[in-house]
Amino acid sequence: MSVEAQLEAAAKDLLAATKAADAVRPDEPSLSLRPWMRKNLFSSISSVILTVVFAAISIFAYRGVLNFIFSEERRWDAIRVNLRALFTFAYPESQYIRIWVTLGIVLMLTGLSMGLMKSIGQGFSIKRISMWFLSSGSAIIGGLILREPSVLKHPDGTPVLDENLQVIRESFSAAMGDRVWWWLGGLVALGIGLGLWFGFGELRRRTTFIAAIPLTLGFIGMFISTVWWFKWGHYGTNTAGDIIIEPGRTVAATTKGPWTVMWFVLVFAYIAGRAVFTTKRAATARASLGLAWLLAPFMTFFVILRDPALDWSHVWSTHIPMALAFIIGGGLVLWALTNPNIGEIGRLIAIVLITLALFHWVAGFFGWYPMLQKARISFLLLGLAGASAHNFAGDARQRSRMVWGWVGLMVIVHYLATMINTASTLEVNGEFAGGFVVTLYIAAFTMTFSLPLGVMLALGRTSTMPLFRILSTTYIELVRGIPFITILFFFAVFVNFFLPEGMELAKLAAAGIGFSLFGAAYLAENVRGGLQAIQRGQYEASDALGLTTVQRTSFIVLPQALQVSIPPLVGGAIGTFKETSLLSIVGIIDFTRVANSSIPGQTEFVGVKREGLLFISLIYWIGAYSMSKYSQRLEKQLGVGER
Amino acid sequence: MNTKSKLTKLLALLFAFTLLATSCGSSSDGESTAAPAADNASEEDNDDVELTQGDDLLEQIIARGTLNCGVASVSIGFAVADSNGVFQGFDADWCRATAAAILGDANAVNIVPLTAAERFTAVQTGEVDLLHRNTTWTQSRDSDVGMDFGPTTYFDGQQLMARVGDGFTPNSGVADLDGAVICTNAGTTTEKNIAEAAILAGVEITLNTFEDFDIVTQNFIDGGCDVITTDGSGLVGRKAEQQPADQEWAIFPGQPISKEPLGPTYGQNQSRFADAVNWTVYAMLIADEYGVNQDNVDDFLGAEAELGRLLGGEGEVQTAMGLNADAFYQAISQMGSYSDLWKRHLAPLGLQLEGSANDLWTNGGLMYPPPAR
Repeated sequence: MSVEAQLEAAAKDLLAATKAADAVRPDEPSLSLRPWMRKNLFSSISSVILTVVFAAISIFAYRGVLNFIFSEERRWDAIRVNLRALFTFAYPESQYIRIWVTLGIVLMLTGLSMGLMKSIGQGFSIKRISMWFLSSGSAIIGGLILREPSVLKHPDGTPVLDENLQVIRESFSAAMGDRVWWWLGGLVALGIGLGLWFGFGELRRRTTFIAAIPLTLGFIGMFISTVWWFKWGHYGTNTAGDIIIEPGRTVAATTKGPWTVMWFVLVFAYIAGRAVFTTKRAATARASLGLAWLLAPFMTFFVILRDPALDWSHVWSTHIPMALAFIIGGGLVLWALTNPNIGEIGRLIAIVLITLALFHWVAGFFGWYPMLQKARISFLLLGLAGASAHNFAGDARQRSRMVWGWVGLMVIVHYLATMINTASTLEVNGEFAGGFVVTLYIAAFTMTFSLPLGVMLALGRTSTMPLFRILSTTYIELVRGIPFITILFFFAVFVNFFLPEGMELAKLAAAGIGFSLFGAAYLAENVRGGLQAIQRGQYEASDALGLTTVQRTSFIVLPQALQVSIPPLVGGAIGTFKETSLLSIVGIIDFTRVANSSIPGQTEFVGVKREGLLFISLIYWIGAYSMSKYSQRLEKQLGVGER
Repeated sequence: MNTKSKLTKLLALLFAFTLLATSCGSSSDGESTAAPAADNASEEDNDDVELTQGDDLLEQIIARGTLNCGVASVSIGFAVADSNGVFQGFDADWCRATAAAILGDANAVNIVPLTAAERFTAVQTGEVDLLHRNTTWTQSRDSDVGMDFGPTTYFDGQQLMARVGDGFTPNSGVADLDGAVICTNAGTTTEKNIAEAAILAGVEITLNTFEDFDIVTQNFIDGGCDVITTDGSGLVGRKAEQQPADQEWAIFPGQPISKEPLGPTYGQNQSRFADAVNWTVYAMLIADEYGVNQDNVDDFLGAEAELGRLLGGEGEVQTAMGLNADAFYQAISQMGSYSDLWKRHLAPLGLQLEGSANDLWTNGGLMYPPPAR
């Protein structure tokens, strides 16, 4: 055989092997247990050793965690009694409907978003679902055997002690007998898993898929249904403030009802989203949903939860006329400025508008004449809109788009500014929010504000204008060089010393601003990475089309750059969500602070801290993990990283 | 250019200036959108506050209708959020009693939890009117820091706690600490006090500090610390709640190693407000001198002499202070006397009023309110 023939044969073999591998990988037949273990766990001496060592470590860790959770020393009733304090803190119980409405809105948007998402992949295969059941069943049964037997207790709940004052544990067999319900649960899970595994054939269990979202909704529904029949226990305080602990009951009706409604809201929103998904309106629906998500934190927090005490005569005499003046006047100005034939005079008007707006701010700083802050903000927005109006010049349709955009912006700005500026009817302890609500609020606030600010900083840093570049670079490098906790202390404790006379920032607002300013600097660097990934050709092509800088940036560069930056941006969002726990250090009663300080300080639960920390870890983890799952999905959907 | 576009330009300019006029004419208050939860009274109220700003704090509070009172964010028995998020405790009730005296309503109080680092800043910036926040009355705080102190509501003092099994008894002293590992929480004066006491007694100790006292106590239970030290009130509570079945703890020395007089704290040079705060404390102590408490105060309404004056019978003394004639009746009927507060929050922790420094002077304690006349 000649060398060439050999080479050719080798190449053919290689090609065939690659093809076979490609063909096989997605449908590789699952090995039966023994070959699988031999291949993955015991393939060589070293892997045998590693498997044994790490299996032992995992078993000991699992045993330790179980013994910790089920220890007779654990005071889980501290968590159950304090659930209200943990999640909503001092929010008055009579106003709880506001919390449910807020949650309902968030779940409705979630459901609609899930319905409108493109499906990725085919969902979960029967094989995978069966593996879940098998592993959870074996985890439960393994845990039953591993966990140490329970402590013997007197009828009043105190442990029985021997002569050395040590607790006495029941025998192993008695412990197994006590855990009969757990056994049953574990065996049922195992049974379902085995049933699915063998009920479907080798091929069918790999090729039968169940859509991920309906399955998840079903599981959530099953969990929520337990409030109706499982005796979780009735924990809480009565009107006199005494703690009620009744373990043998199902949860209170005020918990059952709303949660069931919430599940239905989620499911119906998903079905509605799914229905819209197939119509031509899906893109519009998705865009309006994005806007709704942006507005939701402000609407729910400042309007629904805060319940501003509006003075209607003042609203009619001042707020509404002023908003109308800006809407109509500003709309006409912009209509004129988007006229393609306006020429040089348009630029002049824009300059006059910007000068006027800046003058109002200077005058406000020196206190020359009074003006509502929102009027100053509106003037500034009008100036900016005027300056960029020529980018939207065109026929009547294009011009009216700009004007309607302005009308929408003004309605939102004036509505929210009025609401935020009106005192709440619900304030307790200086703030009306505490616990998990604060955690969520600060996280949402930071994400909403640091994104536009960070994008602006990134554009400034990559700008060719030296002033913008230097200012942005200085800001980014300055903030990135200061530890976050220092910035937070400054904003939460000392910022009121530096504000003009008569102006005062609530601690929560100050902390939110500190979070946003800090987050923006890091976000700017992530976005800058995205900007640098845009190929030069994109810029040249937009120049060749005759686009202006603003048009090029907002229609060509930014959409691509933001898409590339999604993974780090979501990473940043997860980071922000977890960093909110630092609020507890500056004296804001957030989720961590309730668990770390308030509960261990209560006379009934002195020093009970580990339970609370474990519980909040679980909640933080659920939040962070679902965000990270969502970002993985988003990456797949956008094809980032597959180019 | 045609006439139409010129017209449009003119119109645009005209509107720009009409806008300016509208917004100037319709807005006369300088409130800021950047302050969501700040004090946002309506225009008229704002003007009133402007006028009185820098004037008498007592009048400001009465005009405002709420008292802003700073408490510790967590101090077992003194101030802690309950499972409904409402602050409860000895200090929180002093805030409510002060509000009842000044405003006639114990609920007209905004209880603000403050960390140790923030407390004086909060008073200086006006975020709170006063502190009932475990603040020790010291020379430098009274002068340099710019605070004024009211009558002590709780005489505390640093003590130590150790296991009886290690040979400690309630009669032990600092001299018995030789070689012991002593734990306390970081960043407080307790650390300095025990170090100084050990030097004075000539014993060698190892000092370990932890982030907070929950961790200190846990280390003590687990055997990582031989002795723990903090204010006596804290130790008694820990012993009552956390002593395991197989250990016995002893608190010593009988005479604390430091003096910690805790009481109301407020900004300097607000005499009328200070009088109102101080006399609320005195009134609740005087009530105990006469055996008056929350339940029986109505029986004493027509009483003679000092008690009658205090409860508003001849109200000139209170009205001269700028309070309502029945100010202290309101405080006592809504919140109780000094011993009522004690029974409600400190007795459940195992703290004994009888025989302690906090008992009335008639029982050998240090509480000696001036006469009400």
